[in-house]
Amino acid sequence: MSASLEKGVRVLKEMIDAPIASYFNSCVHCGLCAEACLFYTETGDPKYTPIHKLEPLRRIYEQEYTLLGRLKKVLGLSKPVTDAELGEWQELVYNSCTLCGRCSLVCPVGNDIVYMVRKFREGMAISGHAPEGIVEATRRTVSTGSPMGVTMHAVKAQMKHVEEETGISIPLDVEGAEYMVLLSSMEIINFPEYLSAIARIMKHAGKTWTLCSTGFEATNSGIQIGVSDLAKTIVSRIVEGAERLKAKTVISPECGHAYTALRWEGPNLIGRPFTFKVQHILEVLDELRSQGLLKTEGFETDRLTFHDPCQLARRGGVIQPQRNLINMVAQNFVEMPDAGKMNWCCGGGGGVTAIEPAEALRIEAFKKKKSQLEAVKPDRLVTACAVCRTTLEEGLEHYQMNIPVVGLTEIIAEHLPEQGA
Amino acid sequence: MPTNDKDFKAKLGALPIAHQRHVGALFVQRVLPFSSDVRLKAALELALRADASDAELTGAYQAANTARVESYTRCGSVCDWADQAGHFVAKAVMACVSPAAEGESLAWEAAMSARMARTCQTVADGSGTENREAEEQYRILEAFLNN
Amino acid sequence: MNELQFLTWVRGTGLNIAVGIFLLGVLWRLIEIYSLGRKKDLAAPRHVAGASGWHTMFRRSVPPAGMLKRSPVSYIGGYVFHIGLAIVVFLFAPHIKLIESLIGLSWPGLPSQFIDLAAVVTMAAMVVVLVDRINKPVKRYLSTFEDWFTWTVTFLPVLTGWLAVRHLLLPYTTMLALHILSVEILLVVLPFTKLFHAFTLWGSRYYNGAVNGHKGVPV
Repeated sequence: MSASLEKGVRVLKEMIDAPIASYFNSCVHCGLCAEACLFYTETGDPKYTPIHKLEPLRRIYEQEYTLLGRLKKVLGLSKPVTDAELGEWQELVYNSCTLCGRCSLVCPVGNDIVYMVRKFREGMAISGHAPEGIVEATRRTVSTGSPMGVTMHAVKAQMKHVEEETGISIPLDVEGAEYMVLLSSMEIINFPEYLSAIARIMKHAGKTWTLCSTGFEATNSGIQIGVSDLAKTIVSRIVEGAERLKAKTVISPECGHAYTALRWEGPNLIGRPFTFKVQHILEVLDELRSQGLLKTEGFETDRLTFHDPCQLARRGGVIQPQRNLINMVAQNFVEMPDAGKMNWCCGGGGGVTAIEPAEALRIEAFKKKKSQLEAVKPDRLVTACAVCRTTLEEGLEHYQMNIPVVGLTEIIAEHLPEQGA
Repeated sequence: MPTNDKDFKAKLGALPIAHQRHVGALFVQRVLPFSSDVRLKAALELALRADASDAELTGAYQAANTARVESYTRCGSVCDWADQAGHFVAKAVMACVSPAAEGESLAWEAAMSARMARTCQTVADGSGTENREAEEQYRILEAFLNN
Repeated sequence: MNELQFLTWVRGTGLNIAVGIFLLGVLWRLIEIYSLGRKKDLAAPRHVAGASGWHTMFRRSVPPAGMLKRSPVSYIGGYVFHIGLAIVVFLFAPHIKLIESLIGLSWPGLPSQFIDLAAVVTMAAMVVVLVDRINKPVKRYLSTFEDWFTWTVTFLPVLTGWLAVRHLLLPYTTMLALHILSVEILLVVLPFTKLFHAFTLWGSRYYNGAVNGHKGVPV
């Protein structure tokens, strides 16, 4: 066994716990997980069956943790996991899986398949089988602070633009603010309107907030490739910043996995509970709404529908806030079929958009989202994740569907009452 | 001449749509060199014509949208700020040729996106966060209003 | 050995061995799996009513929205044969008598014509799911020798039992002995094959429900 494969197999052995053992022993090969996965439903190719993505891990489990499996291994009757096999599995574990988690919701015997894929990626990464694109992005995050090379310099440029546009100054490194706002590189680069919206909303609600110069990046591609050490480094920057600035709540931006990375994996990565709250921006806005601090005027009258980012809704638990918020500012909001926790993935999460060879597959998988939109026929599509936005736009563009995509925080900000002189 | 954005925005919003397209296009002309996309050049020329038909505007809008979507910086890749400037040029051009409704401020959208394009360019060439795009835009509007 | 000796053996020694392996096997496998434990979740939980491991243990028996349409045979065929098996195993008078002799508990059974019908429906459903496994690309792709083998060791007890009660195919004594033998084979392989899902699905559903419930998502 080569050094990398050995490390990979060792890591995979460490990943296995009672849940994973229980899941492998419960699988009855019913194939229902495939029926829930857009990569299978839109291609018809059974190799994309979610549980099949875990076959090498299953064999390692059997050979290392079961009496019969160990016996078979000793007798030379079992098939070892090879480097070539892991190489073959790269496409199944990364290109055709966004960690959307739909499979975990339908397995009749209760298998949490996405939990297993997430852990399997740890072994894939260590053995050198993670996709180049995301490996690079992760390295960049660790060394420069951002997966896309966004520096404080660029953030400051954007801050200045927003300050000019809104007439509101953007706080940086302010101690004792109620909220520490994180941004994702995708937003800083592609959607400056997000920061503008935050500034206006915070002013309107009378809340103190700040950006943090050493921990402004929410994106955590360490989670996506599955290297917990790097994921931990990235989270630690945020934690250090939040504790240094004594912020009460850290706000995760309109980015899907950043929320699950910080809110749900964060404390487990650093090995201790957080001393501050973590909320997604939509949770914060919904809270402000229910406290009467967020008041809007006017309504969008066109037909709007909402795409639930997987990491926010199904995987993050933020399902109702977006609906409360849209209903504040929309007269004609309609749900797409399977809305809420069963919504279908845009096809771009989990690092898939960073994998160039996966583009054709992603466009094909988009037919599922296309069918949902054809059923609901909206004038515009609202969502709350920067990668969902670009993925949706690319898909809509490819299939020649004229449906503009907008961010929810942006729409809320547009309906704030006009400010005085 | 407007001295702040509140004033600037109000003046732009008061213009009839056809004038907003024209002024917006003047803003965008300053940053057009940041994009090499010929579709954007053509769309901008259309916005400057007083006699552009609705069908022509729709065609230009769709072309500019395609240019915009194609030029998003892909998640996880290194951001080339010079390329990203081109993305905002596309967004600014879209504002100039978008189907307009009452009360919308096409020219303001164009101005903001043009400023973002400039900001990206200054990040790209490392010349700092200061740029005088806003003042130039005030000057353009003033000159337009005085004609 | 003649048929009576065969029957005596399977009723006596054979049953003891099979039940012994079954009980020890189940115990061993449960320990092998669940002693691996899991790390405590340090993230602050989100409390949502109805979102927990216990809820999922039972709620997961209901097909999630949209899934029944995608694979009706899996759900309907699956439920019919599982329920059919339960009816035949636990509500047939001779079986209840056997259980009474082993652990002292008994309960009323169903009329034998009903059990006969249940057995036939169970076998029909099992054939349907077998055909589905052969026909459907995903099921075929996933299936290994173990899937065909476990289908067979589950089907044979129902078939041989039904044939015995109906006095078909072979003389009763032989048919009955084969039936009991087939059950013994089933018992012996159950803890070591996918049939063990009978025990582990509860734990799996629980873990799944707990992890998602921690985040406030009822699954």
